[in-house]
Amino acid sequence: MFRSLYTAASGMSAQQLNLDNIANNLANSSTSGFRSRRIQFQDMIYQNMVTPGAAATQQTTLAGGLQIGLGTRPGVSEVVQTQGEFSATGNPLDMAIQGAGFFQIKLPDGQMGYTRSGSFTQDQQGNVVTADGNPLEPALTIPTTAQSITIGSDGTVSVTLPNQIAATQIGSIQLATFANPGGLNSVGSNIFMPTTASGDPVVGAPGGSEGLGTLQQGMLEQSNVNVVDEFINMIVAQRAYESNSRVVQAADQMLQQLNSVGK
Amino acid sequence: MDSGFYAACTGLMSKTQALDSVANNLANVNTSGYRSQRNQFSSVLANASLSGSSPLNLAVNNYGVLGGTRLDMTQGSLEKTGNDLDFAVDGQGFFAVQTSAGRMYTRSGNFQIGASGQLITAEGDPVLGEKGTINVSGGKVHVGADGTISVDGAVAGRLKVVDFAPSTQLQAVGKTYYSAPPDSEIEAKLASVQQGVIEGSNVNAVTTAVELINVQRQAEMMERAMSLFNTDLDKSATEDLPRVTT
Repeated sequence: MFRSLYTAASGMSAQQLNLDNIANNLANSSTSGFRSRRIQFQDMIYQNMVTPGAAATQQTTLAGGLQIGLGTRPGVSEVVQTQGEFSATGNPLDMAIQGAGFFQIKLPDGQMGYTRSGSFTQDQQGNVVTADGNPLEPALTIPTTAQSITIGSDGTVSVTLPNQIAATQIGSIQLATFANPGGLNSVGSNIFMPTTASGDPVVGAPGGSEGLGTLQQGMLEQSNVNVVDEFINMIVAQRAYESNSRVVQAADQMLQQLNSVGK
Repeated sequence: MDSGFYAACTGLMSKTQALDSVANNLANVNTSGYRSQRNQFSSVLANASLSGSSPLNLAVNNYGVLGGTRLDMTQGSLEKTGNDLDFAVDGQGFFAVQTSAGRMYTRSGNFQIGASGQLITAEGDPVLGEKGTINVSGGKVHVGADGTISVDGAVAGRLKVVDFAPSTQLQAVGKTYYSAPPDSEIEAKLASVQQGVIEGSNVNAVTTAVELINVQRQAEMMERAMSLFNTDLDKSATEDLPRVTT
């Protein structure tokens, strides 16, 4: 049968996967701290019917080869690192990172997870935890008597206690960056895990020269999904699927006519 | 059999191959760094003044076949990703990559960091700089337009961006890698490197769709011609002619 049937099928399944990814991005368009993903496709192997530069005669070589490619396949889906929009919440434990850093979260199994979602709360002991109850690292405990919490752009956390005029510093927030954040592993609940592709985390205080970014108290970073872009991608995926299915139709019609030759 | 039958048959075969390459272009409409393939048709007899051939012989035997495919080198659209390790070549040039099968070239710049801190492709092959592989671990990566990579402000190397002499034939090997004959590299003068963007596929959906229709219709014509030879001519020769003579 024609190779083009299978080539077009690979294109159709690639666009199907592309649409799955777009659907997930759109579904998370209001998940705070969400990072959209983008699938990278690669071309598959080629059949060399005539190798480019093969000898035509003893003196001359062919001007071009005859290579037929066999379709496409998904390569990697990388995490897009554009900054999401900020929205003011007024909650003193909501923080947005203006820059490339990630908050460090201690997961129940002792591993360190990383998130852009700066929506924190206090548990009953006053520990600063995520919405899932996992503590921020380095651990931060707000005294129960604290009347107000201030988080500086450099991560310094201070509280005002009753009958005290000066604020008391109770700790500081540290952020982590990765050389290749596109290679992070998404594990759900807004948590990323480092991989060999992302590189090891580089931890530091916000506002420094490492490019970690600064903290904004009382703000939340929205999802970085650009709905307009995703809609465009969706149209492209849909139309690309359609063109590939046209190839299937064309190949089918050619086969049908071929079968009728000699009748 | 009539030679026209074989001419039509060859024409149909070349259209089938053309359909294969159109299918591959359309399947890779979203493949970053993909260069689309253009079909080139040629006549089977390279030299029309073959000694001893009669004009009639040339006319009936000079079939059209798919002579070759050429890579379309127009620039694909650049898409912003915001990832510091996504690079695109703006202009004419390729990134050089060291693979187990030798040196390869790619326009797909979604790079990563390997276990030993090297800059690698999505396939895990080291990306080459002017002085071998580039170590980019431990800091923020910045790339200048000339390909100079700095990590936290310290220069780590310069990406090897190469171009090829106009007559060089690149061979597609898959994974958006291309191979070139040895010693065909020249310095890329008309290229700049951009960070945080990825070059898309350069498949033109409109011309490819038109080509698909052309291929389909031309195949239909060849099949008609084959049917014609088979039914109108050969059938008459085998069934009707004997009846006339007896």
